[in-house]
Amino acid sequence: MSRTASPRICILKADGTNCEVETATAFDLVGARPEIVPMNRLRSGERRLADYDVLVAPGGFSYGDDVAAGKVMAVELMQRLADDMAEFAAAAKPIIGICNGFQVLVRTGLLPFNQPGIMSATLAQNAVGRFECRWVDLVVEAATVSQLAAALPSHLQLPLAHAEGRFFADDAVLARIEAAHQVVLRYADRDGRPTAAYPANPNGALGAIAGLSDPSGRIFGLMPHPERFVRRFHHPDWRRRPADERPHGLAFFERIVALA
Amino acid sequence: MIHTIRVAAKADTDPVGRDVLAEIRRTLGLAAIGRVRSARVFRLEGADEAAARRLAEALLCEPVDHDWTIDAPILTDAAHVVEVAYLPGVMNPEAASILKAAADLGVDLVAVDASREYAFYATAADALHPTDIDRVVHRLLVNPTIERVVDTPPATLLIEGQPGPTRRIALRGMDDDALLRLSNDGLYLDLDEMHAIRDYFDELRRDPTDLELEILAQTWSEHCVHKTFKRPVVIDGVRKTPFMQRLKETSRRYDDLVVSAFVDNSGVLRFYDGWAVCGKVETHNSPSAIEPYGGAMTGSGGVFRDVLGTGQGARVIASTDMFCFAPPDLPPSDVPPGALPPDYLLRRVVAGVRDYGNRMGIPTNNGSVHFHKDFRAKPTVIVGAYGLLPEDRAVKGHPRPGDRIVVLGGRTGRDGIHGATFSSTAMTADTITVNSQAVQIGNAVEEKRLLDALLVCRDDGLLRALTDCGAGGFSSAIGEMGEQLGAEVELDRAPLKYTGLAPWEIYLSESQERMVAAVAPEDVPRVLAICATYNVEAVDVGAFLPTGRLVVRYAGEVVGELAMGFMHDGLPDKTLTGTWAATDVDGDAAAPSTPSELPTPPTSNDDWIDLARRVMAHPNVASKEPIVRQYDHTVQAMGVLPPFGGREGDAPGDAAVLAPFPDKPYGLVIAHGLNPVLNTFDPYWGGIWAAAEAMANLVAVGGNPREVGLIDNFIWPVPDGPALGGLDRAVDACVDVMHALGRPFISGKDSLSSTYRYPDGTVLEIPPVLCISVFGRIPDVAKTSSSDFKHAGSTLVLVGARDVEASRGYGLGGSVYLDVHGLRGVDAPHVDLAVLPRVLDAVHAAIAGGRVLSCHDVSEGGLLACLAEMGFGGDRGAEIDLAAIDVASGVGSGTAADRRMRPDVALFNETAGVFVCEIVDPDDVAAFTGVPHAVIGRTIDAGELRLRDGVRELARIDIAMLQDAWASAMRLVFH
Repeated sequence: MSRTASPRICILKADGTNCEVETATAFDLVGARPEIVPMNRLRSGERRLADYDVLVAPGGFSYGDDVAAGKVMAVELMQRLADDMAEFAAAAKPIIGICNGFQVLVRTGLLPFNQPGIMSATLAQNAVGRFECRWVDLVVEAATVSQLAAALPSHLQLPLAHAEGRFFADDAVLARIEAAHQVVLRYADRDGRPTAAYPANPNGALGAIAGLSDPSGRIFGLMPHPERFVRRFHHPDWRRRPADERPHGLAFFERIVALA
Repeated sequence: MIHTIRVAAKADTDPVGRDVLAEIRRTLGLAAIGRVRSARVFRLEGADEAAARRLAEALLCEPVDHDWTIDAPILTDAAHVVEVAYLPGVMNPEAASILKAAADLGVDLVAVDASREYAFYATAADALHPTDIDRVVHRLLVNPTIERVVDTPPATLLIEGQPGPTRRIALRGMDDDALLRLSNDGLYLDLDEMHAIRDYFDELRRDPTDLELEILAQTWSEHCVHKTFKRPVVIDGVRKTPFMQRLKETSRRYDDLVVSAFVDNSGVLRFYDGWAVCGKVETHNSPSAIEPYGGAMTGSGGVFRDVLGTGQGARVIASTDMFCFAPPDLPPSDVPPGALPPDYLLRRVVAGVRDYGNRMGIPTNNGSVHFHKDFRAKPTVIVGAYGLLPEDRAVKGHPRPGDRIVVLGGRTGRDGIHGATFSSTAMTADTITVNSQAVQIGNAVEEKRLLDALLVCRDDGLLRALTDCGAGGFSSAIGEMGEQLGAEVELDRAPLKYTGLAPWEIYLSESQERMVAAVAPEDVPRVLAICATYNVEAVDVGAFLPTGRLVVRYAGEVVGELAMGFMHDGLPDKTLTGTWAATDVDGDAAAPSTPSELPTPPTSNDDWIDLARRVMAHPNVASKEPIVRQYDHTVQAMGVLPPFGGREGDAPGDAAVLAPFPDKPYGLVIAHGLNPVLNTFDPYWGGIWAAAEAMANLVAVGGNPREVGLIDNFIWPVPDGPALGGLDRAVDACVDVMHALGRPFISGKDSLSSTYRYPDGTVLEIPPVLCISVFGRIPDVAKTSSSDFKHAGSTLVLVGARDVEASRGYGLGGSVYLDVHGLRGVDAPHVDLAVLPRVLDAVHAAIAGGRVLSCHDVSEGGLLACLAEMGFGGDRGAEIDLAAIDVASGVGSGTAADRRMRPDVALFNETAGVFVCEIVDPDDVAAFTGVPHAVIGRTIDAGELRLRDGVRELARIDIAMLQDAWASAMRLVFH
């Protein structure tokens, strides 16, 4: 699908969502039209999901991460906006979850298998048992099904910040994810090798999975924050890096816009 | 009917249980417990069993990694199971979320609570004794001020009660004894103040209500009116200007860039393009000593609301935290009765700061931790926040006659009210006794949605005036906003957490996450609609009216009526008296006054290595990375210099640099300095040191010393006697700093009661703390610097004047170097205020001009720690000739021979305002012409510090080994 007008991005905002502003900024930088949409505006019908081209669940602590990270927001989406969500997914429009948004998508069942209401994987508490904020090396899975990954550098660096990011599922689910090439990003060491070792894999994610998509590649969730690396100066070691380096997070947003 | 859902992680995915076990091993040394597991407990009231099962399946349990039961135990194979819940009356932030999600699932609950069970498994060899479990529960799991062990499941979760009546106090007939008794019963006013109140009501020919007395006690409290800082002082018989007047009058002389100083909830500076930045730094010591997690949370929440409540509302974009604790390895026998162990306090305070800031999405960018044994009863917990706001909304409006009083945010409960008790007869039969002084658990998400809604209201121009409810609650907020006008309040409209609060309790409650706004009547519907969109409760509780009076009604009855004039100007004048003699406050360490009493410098390479490792592992020097990694410092995507940077992200930065606008190069630089140990010699020189350290940190990263504002925080043991004399000197230090730098203090806070009384009556005073924070603007974040060595072969320059005066023990007093030898020294290093501004300017110009590859300031641990840390980030070393320092940058008196600097003095002197700069071109050393400086060596492509004293080689020290010592000290505290 191609369009002349720049795509409209719905950035969901629940109580405790806290990365919506910089996520909107990132979309602004790549020429999209982001709008931060409080959940109540969707619930009341004041805004309609159908009017947007991309749906983004950004980072934060939706509803305090009470019960489990993203759980209360996932319940709200699937109970109060179930039809709109189904329609949106059926239209093959991209649905993106970043950090808390990834947790939300997993808890709705949209990830990993686009099965609303059926949760087959989880993002559990970090194996180290506490919140971690650090930059990580990531590698893009060569055979990934997701078109969203096509424009990313094969080895990139992004920051992450979470307490519950450990991708966890049983062996059968993991095998199914791998077989369908749904993994998009893995935590890696400095040489680009996926790793289970802390701190390069900061949460103990199984398969070093940092980001994955549904089998269609259109629904995508990741724990790292691409919106936090859209300027050269965001990199913690920017002084040692080439001044003309394209910030790694920008490619991610450009690609979403290109696909929308 | 309550149904209880228990949810347990499957055995191999339970980090909570693992953490508790680790804490048991480390803190209690108990071997009998081999395994700990945890389970969540959800009590659902008002749902039938089918509905409870539905909630379990759809909300509370995730079968991927959880098991669950309904109305049945879950961890049935354990030797002991203990459930820990919040006390009734302590609001559990999770409850509201569960109620919301249940409603979304079509289940209407009456009430809900969430708690946690811990299951203990014995090791194969040992049996578990109940006393072991008791120790674990009471030492590690339950804080009795907010939590309890659930022995009997509650029959209901509802708390109900009848509000007590408003009482009249027969004040007019009271003699002095009766007045003092009344005051000691929770008012804490002195006799003069009680007389003033009695006279006022004598004139009115009536007695006051409890509400009126509480309002006056709050309005006149030290916490709210800062009596010590506003009153004249007499020190050693000499009358001096009040502290606040001294600070404000000096500040006004340097007010370029200042939008507002000392008048709003924070200090505001001009930024660029019509924007302003504001900063506020607060303390939260007493609550943090009792309940460190909740105390730290309310500290963070309060300072964020201060920034939010600046002007017509500011977006909070950064926070800082500075702590003082006793050393984490303090022997348990030295922990005073009733106090908590310092390592536990540190972990819990960090957790509170973490959970509040991270949840609000406010990056914690900068901070420090300081250790001294005299903080063993009362720690110092300082939290700062910085905000961004349009300059044309940066100054508060005043309420106009008829403006409505709108309260927004969290509900009001009995939080923070002194001595309040529930009347037992008023409670329902099933309600368990409610803790009368409930400490609350901060609810960061409540404050986040409040912030979101208020910034929308601000941008729509709907807020005439805005302030936060902190200490003193509605009383303080409405009293301050209505001071010039008058106000009428309908107290029964305020939303409550539970019934049963007396009017005075509602008015004085210090429940968090509340703000008060003055809104024009026609704008109220829009404000309420915006708040509804963001799930923020907002209620119109009255009006500002031009009566000059405060009238408070409850259910139609007037429960308080006071003249605004008396509330705000009725406080009797008083002069404070103090003394100053530069006595040894902390005289239990030997004080060398001559070189022969200094430690002997090492003679062998191994001894140098051993000394260097001890200095790097000293808690005041050691890496705080295990703390910083728990704070989200990348949220909001503004940070352009992380707290830890360099090649591997493990080298410390000196300050925070933010670029608030994604399409502009503008920078906001934030730094601070404090060193309580130095104040035990003389708070004047300790204060100067703190200011110089703050400025040096700011300049080291590229900050411009000419475009900043300063913030003071005085945390003092007591406001009288020699301590008041010391406080007077610390205030003088701030005044002198303003003159020397040409920059103003624009905000500040004092907290003047940090003592502890042992059971035998001995009083333990904290070392006086003066924390100086600084923030300012730079036009281009590209022209900044980081602390990590960039290249091999660069020239290293030491810039700045060090105090090496022999009669002051070579400026080593209070240094880490002396401390690792069990020594204290004779005096704080004296920073030369005539030289400091020139040094700051020179270093700033060199960095802004692109001549500096890396820069780090010399502070705790001296030059050695500075060079080592620069090496950590760059994975490089340095070759240093200490003899070079002797010639160029010692600023002592006497002949050249006297000034011959010993190598240990050169390496470990901690005079603030001194830098190491790595420069590209050796000729660039000319940038420092005119200020004290010395070329001390160069960077090398080896991970070593090679130290020479002229031709003599002193030591070769492996940098990786130093990094290991430096990094491991805090790891022991944080696993």
